[in-house]
Amino acid sequence: MSPEAAFDLSVYYPIFIFLGLLIAFCIGVMIAAHTIGPGRRSAVKLMPYESGMDPIGDARQRFDIKFYLVAIMFLVFDVELLFLYPWAVVAYREGGIPEVLQGPVFWSVLTFIALLLVAYIYDWRKGVFKWR
Amino acid sequence: MNQQSVALAELYRYLGPEMVLAAFSCLIFLGGTFRASRQTWGAVALLGLAVSFTALVLGPRWTDPSNETFILPVIFDAFANFVRGLAILSGVVLVLLSWDELSDKTASDYHACLLLLTAGLGLIGSANDLVTMFLALEMVSIPTYIMLYLPKHDNASKEASLKYFLLSIFSSALLLFGFSYLYGLTGSTNIAVMLNTLHEAGTSGTAVPAIAAIALITIVCGLGFRVTAAPFHFYAPDVYQGASTVGAALLSYVPKIAGFVALLKIFGFVLPPGVQAVSHIGTGLSTQIPVLFWLLAVLTMFTGNLLALLQDNVRRLLAYSSIAHAGYMLMALAAAPYLRPQSESPGGGPDGIESLLYYLIAYGAMTVGLFAVLVQLGPAEKPVENVDDLAGLSKTHPLLALLAALFLFSLIGIPLTAGFTGKFMVFFGAMSVPETNAAPYRWLALIGAINAAIGGWYYLRIIAAMYLRNPLKPIEQPTRTPAWATVIVCAILTLGLSFPPGSRYLMRWTHDAARNGAPAQTAGDAPVREVAER
Repeated sequence: MSPEAAFDLSVYYPIFIFLGLLIAFCIGVMIAAHTIGPGRRSAVKLMPYESGMDPIGDARQRFDIKFYLVAIMFLVFDVELLFLYPWAVVAYREGGIPEVLQGPVFWSVLTFIALLLVAYIYDWRKGVFKWR
Repeated sequence: MNQQSVALAELYRYLGPEMVLAAFSCLIFLGGTFRASRQTWGAVALLGLAVSFTALVLGPRWTDPSNETFILPVIFDAFANFVRGLAILSGVVLVLLSWDELSDKTASDYHACLLLLTAGLGLIGSANDLVTMFLALEMVSIPTYIMLYLPKHDNASKEASLKYFLLSIFSSALLLFGFSYLYGLTGSTNIAVMLNTLHEAGTSGTAVPAIAAIALITIVCGLGFRVTAAPFHFYAPDVYQGASTVGAALLSYVPKIAGFVALLKIFGFVLPPGVQAVSHIGTGLSTQIPVLFWLLAVLTMFTGNLLALLQDNVRRLLAYSSIAHAGYMLMALAAAPYLRPQSESPGGGPDGIESLLYYLIAYGAMTVGLFAVLVQLGPAEKPVENVDDLAGLSKTHPLLALLAALFLFSLIGIPLTAGFTGKFMVFFGAMSVPETNAAPYRWLALIGAINAAIGGWYYLRIIAAMYLRNPLKPIEQPTRTPAWATVIVCAILTLGLSFPPGSRYLMRWTHDAARNGAPAQTAGDAPVREVAER
């Protein structure tokens, strides 16, 4: 195939199939929820969903500390991924991390993950994940 | 590039003490969630510090074979090892001091934070890169926020922790701002490269851009907060008063080491191996550095001493005392650039950096000792608040009163205490600045002497309350064995470091640390060592 002919939408047909499936799934789920779901309506269920907060009332209310703890835990692992990507991409590539440093960097990354694991176990033992 | 890679890969061999401390810290954090016991975790923390010290002593010696100073983020020269040893010793003292001040539930978190803080303190001494330096400073600050809050949970303690937290992050931001300007000026975050660039500019007569003053001032603001220098001291009295006695002891000492060590390294008072000062140490960034520290020293001494006269709360009084002593240390820093050349010649008098390091250790021994006496006299939930609470102590607890008097006499600077030897070195240093700059430093020494006399008043007021008055209310019986160990260690240091052989050992260590293994250079003939081409 010549470079000029590279622009060809048909190359992207898997994406369109995926898009179609996606839309079909969304509509399908909504239809299924409406037809198959038991539909017991209560006051709480009819309220707009606002991540567990009461959506009506004064905006200046105090948040439960649990939201912050979960958010921080989420962020920690999010940032962990952020650090792992560059390492994973350049570690063993030609012109990436020099040969002599590959060992130390590998162990550093493992230590980094281990430290996050320590924090995770600490949180778990302190009961951060119990939604009381 | 390859040399840097090899040097970086080698670096892990020398980081043993810090890695041990971090590993023990993780162990204590996790272990504390399974078992709540202050005895167990205090003992594990002590074990960690001991293993770390062994690793420091027995570990491989770092040498600088081929100018690796210019590529490494951390270096382990004589000064670094001095700071690391000092950090571990401080850690031991603080673990013992806070042993019984903590509940079983909070002890593990407290000791784990303390070990991290110790590792951070050692890393400040080793840092050779502005980024590493900042991370190490934060590694000291962040555990401090937690440790201020853990021993006591009342409103005053919450206020103190929050106040320290907010102002500390503000000072960190200022510090980073200054670092960014330093990077802009010199094109490198490596401290050795940075100092070398500044010194080369000085040798070749290139003027350092005026914007260097902004870097200088913001860095001094950021670190001045940590050493409680005068215009940045406002948090100290409130935080000391609100925090527990151990929290105040921690704050009076640890941030001072951190701040002064960082100042010494960033401004090139202590030079990394391979870097040679042009004429005066510490003036690479700006020739106005001695003037700045001169002014700060005068302001800090007067603020601390005059406001301490008005205080009734013991911890608040000691906060102002801590500010005043920061002033004396700044005095050593202000005189340091002019003292190095003549202190190289035999009988040339003390060197400013040596005096500063000596004073730092002496101050640590006497102030932590005094706080340890206060810990003995009141538990965390019912601490000694006012000077009146100490009235008649000599009748109820003669030994504790005697030890408290020893620490207070040392803080005044009475001979045969470490406080005297430290003050003597600092004042004598300021007096012996050579002719061309002599006048302002003679004034500085005079102002220092006036301040030492003012300081005598409020320290003697406590001694008078202990010895000349009758007890107003009963003081609890001291039963805290580990904290007794702190009192005794501090008393031995306060006495032992004041005269030979103790003082001679300490002076030799501070001498080596201040010179950092650099070859002696004679006055007026400063050989500029050439940086090997790479």
